[in-house]
Amino acid sequence: MSPHEHVTPVRRFIWILVALLILLALSAGSALVKLGTFNTVINIVISIMKTLLVMTVFMHETEARALTRLVSAFGFIWLTMLISLALFDVVTRPSIPAPW
Amino acid sequence: MNTASGAHVEEQYSDPTQQREAATLGMWVFLATEILFFGVLFAAYTYCRVLYPEGFAVASRRTDMLLGTVETAVLLTSSSLVALAVRSIKLDQRRVAAALLFGTGLLGTSFLVMHGFEYHDEYTEHLVPGLDFNQTGPYAKAMELFFCLYYFITGFHSLHVLVGVTLMYVLCARVARGAFGPYRYTTLELTALYWHLVDIVWIFVYPVVYLVGRSG
Repeated sequence: MSPHEHVTPVRRFIWILVALLILLALSAGSALVKLGTFNTVINIVISIMKTLLVMTVFMHETEARALTRLVSAFGFIWLTMLISLALFDVVTRPSIPAPW
Repeated sequence: MNTASGAHVEEQYSDPTQQREAATLGMWVFLATEILFFGVLFAAYTYCRVLYPEGFAVASRRTDMLLGTVETAVLLTSSSLVALAVRSIKLDQRRVAAALLFGTGLLGTSFLVMHGFEYHDEYTEHLVPGLDFNQTGPYAKAMELFFCLYYFITGFHSLHVLVGVTLMYVLCARVARGAFGPYRYTTLELTALYWHLVDIVWIFVYPVVYLVGRSG
């Protein structure tokens, strides 16, 4: 018998893989439908969902200590700050033509 | 120090669980730096795509969506295999674990081979900035930017896959020799975390590289 308090059942891993592949199919399928900006939004949302599945089940984040979870979240939080702050510049700057 | 259960614990830790948690925490600090390493490339991509949305759509249509989708499926499957390998070693099923790690390595290798074919196709289509890039038209400059970012992002990602694949084969051999067991699997678990992160990076590479401008 295993010395570990908890071992994830095989079935769970297989269901997660099935869910990931379904999300992949949705992502590829939705990209072929003309939805404008929503193509990008849907694809990013699907990617975030896939990441959460991988992190919670494959990377055992639900079983990790609070500190580990916090550190793992912070990589992504910094990334969000990096991209959003960089975008503030391009999105909010009006293009002013040179006066000469 | 060896505990009653037979697990080796370094003297700064009070028990195997604390030791394992410290290692996992350290690994996540490293993974956070990896997230930011790829993060700057994604930030540059976002910046350029906001500036040149049409050019990026035209360039993205030149990538191989079918191969990209298959590669994503291959990496997702390999992630589940390595997660199963860690589970097997916890249950002391060494042969199963070694086979699963070998399978992960094979899937990773096939990913690299498929990417090689993609790079080759792009080279023959003159889509390699700085080496052979002869696109013309109003979107040529934006396409050049897209392909520059494409090679940086996928190139560094493939390098990470190559490192991961090597680790998988090495670990497969070590598991087969009995180097790991239910009390000793931290190396395996941390390598699995690395592989999952490489997978997560690809989860985001896939829509931004292959799926832009596919409709209409």
